[in-house]
Amino acid sequence: MTVDYIFEGLNQMFSGFTGNEIFLIIAILLPCVGCFIFIALYGLVAIYAELKVSSFIHDKTGPMGQGVGLHAGKWGLLQPVADAIKLILKEDIIPSSADRPLYILAPFIIFIGAFVSFVAIPFGEKVIVADMNIGIFYILGIGSLAVIAIILAGWSSNNKWALYGGMRSAAQIVSYEIPAGISLVVVIMLTSSLSMQEIIGYQSGGMFGWILFDNPFMPIAFVIYFISALAETNRTPFDLPESESELVAGFVTEYSGMRYAFFFLSEYANMFVVSAVAVTAFLGGWQSPFPNFLNTSGWSVFWMMSKISLLIFVMIWIRFTVPRLRVDQLMHLCWKVFIPIGLFNVFGVAIWIIVRG
Amino acid sequence: MTENQQKLIDELVNKGLDGDMDAVNAHQDRMVRAKAKSMIMKIQKGILKRPPLKKISPEEVPNGDIVQNQEKKENKQESTSAKVVRKLLEKFPNEIENEEFDSHIQLKPDKWFEIATWLKSEPELFFDSLQCQMGIDVQDDILESRYNLHSMKHNHYVELRIAVSRSNAKIPSVEKIWRVADWFERETYDMLGIEYIGHSDLRRILLPDDWEGWPLRKDYQEQETYHGIIVPKMKEGWE
Amino acid sequence: MGVVHGEEMVLNIGPQHPATHGVLRLQVRTDGEVVSKITPYMGYLHRCFEKHCENVTYEQVIPFTDRCDYLASMSMNFGYVVAMERLMDIKVNERVEYIRIIMAELQRIASHLLCTGVFGLDLGAFTPFLWALRDRERILDLFELTCGARLLYNYMWVGGLSHDLPVGFVESTFKFLDYFEPKIDELENILAHNKILVERSADIGVMPKDIAISYGVTGPNLRASGVKWDLRKDDPYSIYDRFEFDVPIGQGLKGTVGDCWDRFYVRILEIRESVKIVRQALASIPKDGDVHQSLPKKIRPPKGSVYARTETPRGDLGYYIESDGSPIPYRLKMRSPAFTALSVLDEIGGGWLLSDVLAILGSLDIVLGEIDR
Repeated sequence: MTVDYIFEGLNQMFSGFTGNEIFLIIAILLPCVGCFIFIALYGLVAIYAELKVSSFIHDKTGPMGQGVGLHAGKWGLLQPVADAIKLILKEDIIPSSADRPLYILAPFIIFIGAFVSFVAIPFGEKVIVADMNIGIFYILGIGSLAVIAIILAGWSSNNKWALYGGMRSAAQIVSYEIPAGISLVVVIMLTSSLSMQEIIGYQSGGMFGWILFDNPFMPIAFVIYFISALAETNRTPFDLPESESELVAGFVTEYSGMRYAFFFLSEYANMFVVSAVAVTAFLGGWQSPFPNFLNTSGWSVFWMMSKISLLIFVMIWIRFTVPRLRVDQLMHLCWKVFIPIGLFNVFGVAIWIIVRG
Repeated sequence: MTENQQKLIDELVNKGLDGDMDAVNAHQDRMVRAKAKSMIMKIQKGILKRPPLKKISPEEVPNGDIVQNQEKKENKQESTSAKVVRKLLEKFPNEIENEEFDSHIQLKPDKWFEIATWLKSEPELFFDSLQCQMGIDVQDDILESRYNLHSMKHNHYVELRIAVSRSNAKIPSVEKIWRVADWFERETYDMLGIEYIGHSDLRRILLPDDWEGWPLRKDYQEQETYHGIIVPKMKEGWE
Repeated sequence: MGVVHGEEMVLNIGPQHPATHGVLRLQVRTDGEVVSKITPYMGYLHRCFEKHCENVTYEQVIPFTDRCDYLASMSMNFGYVVAMERLMDIKVNERVEYIRIIMAELQRIASHLLCTGVFGLDLGAFTPFLWALRDRERILDLFELTCGARLLYNYMWVGGLSHDLPVGFVESTFKFLDYFEPKIDELENILAHNKILVERSADIGVMPKDIAISYGVTGPNLRASGVKWDLRKDDPYSIYDRFEFDVPIGQGLKGTVGDCWDRFYVRILEIRESVKIVRQALASIPKDGDVHQSLPKKIRPPKGSVYARTETPRGDLGYYIESDGSPIPYRLKMRSPAFTALSVLDEIGGGWLLSDVLAILGSLDIVLGEIDR
């Protein structure tokens, strides 16, 4: 929608100009660049949030500065900027026995996977780069690109530890896509639509119109989706592929500097995407929780962002509370616990829809 | 239970804990015997406290408890050693080399494996744990391998020593009897060069595999370089 | 799992690895993720402690003993001092004995806190590690108050101590103990009964009693396998027989007796017992007494040998000292508990997954300084 909006706007501004194709290209490029800048800025904020939240949980102070100074700001606000600059300035080391083309390709693929999903996220009522009628399906599909990238990273590093990490991660992500998909299927069954904006449109009317409170199977679906999302993004308790204390650093062992930064930026971007999907599907998207209060189009961005931030905060909170699961326990959880419950959910919601009429 | 009986039981219990179970076993009264034995068992498990001996009064000796413990310990050590020697002389007549058994028993290396197996399985001794095994370079061209054995069941200790000459430093390995001897013997081999016959994997443990020399021998000279790195010499004595 | 043999992969964990508690190299043969054989290679931290001791005087050995197990220096000193006093037949006065016990038990609490925190860290729980270290810092502050050092103290000397307790130590310690007791419950709640941690450590790396005794494992590892053996009760040295405390053993609450969870839980229980001992000692410590009273002018032990064992946080530490009448030891051997604990890793580690091997290694609580000396 944003693309159309910008296209119309440009056409109106330069009404006499022929060659609308240029306007089309600009209208497509501008939101994408905007998304990219958003990811970069959001990455900085997410790093800072993780450090500060973790330090509150750990009873320490976290990034701090003494008063208003340039070294880290009063609350350590320049810390993520310092991190980013450090990573950019680091020496780019490629191991001599690594497989060069694959090694260089892997961070790009993983970033593409995360970035391309951003175009379908509804930031607000009229703020969405591409309102496709298969929005959710598209995001689920693109999210699997991460698997290729991780396997490439693990294999091309020519390092046993990286290989372990890569293999574990591939198994984990591929397995957990199934419960995630099944949980979203119940939402799609309810709203009869795959489009993100239509799903949000279905949930109007305040907090109790949200799909989460629609029927008793929905909270179960939400929990399953949320935990599967944690697994998809390689966060604790499922961070075996990058487990610090076991595999040195898992599949990113041999990466340093900006390439390493790409992997972690895309992890944060993935967190954002899955939170956005959870918020869209279950928590009402950009709808306000109060039926008649602050529900204008201008406030929609605020509501969307705050709900996504809440879910990201919960993800960070879980990371620092719970130890990590072992590989076979992880698989057991997915195949023997989540998938049966997910299928039971589908069945239950189907009956509910029929009974309700 | 009269006071006399209680005092008798206390005395028997103390004797028994010092290692002299014959005094307990030889007592006529079955009831007293049983009570003394059950008290001994409870004290060994830590449930009861040891009854004090009425002989030494605490006012005479300033640090009464500590002296008593030490005396009893020496008594225990002595009688355990003596008991082991007595049984050893019955079973393996020619293997003991020293005359006073206060602190240790000196053995010959040849039948050490059989003696060790017997020491572990003999019910009254039952040394099921090898606490410490070390090697030492005694003067006059002799290397000794010393074993501190301990029994979890009876809570007594004994120290055994086996001496070999430098040129022919071979002792049977007791790895199969006490699994801990595996690494202890590897360390003694590493530091002193005593070879343990029958050890499954005798190689250096703390030093790199291609190090030369046996460092804890008194005549050890460091090698000049190791893979191109200069090995520093020891400084003179620190007085 | 079905038996399918693929190709075996040889993997090196270490020497530089975040989870190996020091520089240790474990060569692991794995078939996929299942481990078939573990071979530890050590010696990266070998500093020739025993050879050094043959060249310095008896007093100068004490800082060397600090550096062997750097996480429990007080206990290392204590063992050496007990052995020397037994050899030379020195009796120290009551105040020294009480202070030594207080320091040793505080050191035990600090070491166990670190061990349980690191165990959680190995399994991915970041938070309990930092909480445990926060409390350990307060113990280290107490030590710094007394002798000026936070990690390597050189505090217990043959025949006495290096410094007396400063003014205000007893009050500070009481305040610390009052602050600390609820924190043990907090740590236990977040770590010991956490379902994921239980699943990762219960029934893993079971060490039966006979293997434990045969391999010479001592200390909390042995107690977790069900053997009630504590040198402080069964072979008391110093004045431990005057204090009342329990000896916790592993009971297999969450799995089998002797698994990783038991080894980890026994340490948490031992922290509580040590707190009890410190409280009793502080309540009855004699007010007067000179800690330098029995320090010998020159240490020249009689000819002979002694083997003395004490209970450190890791197990039974044994010192075998052979003296030939001169001020320099003839031979000093330290029998370290972590050495034997590491030797049992191959026995109990076969057949588990790679992540489990690291959990087992964490539960054995080894310190490379003590193993390599």
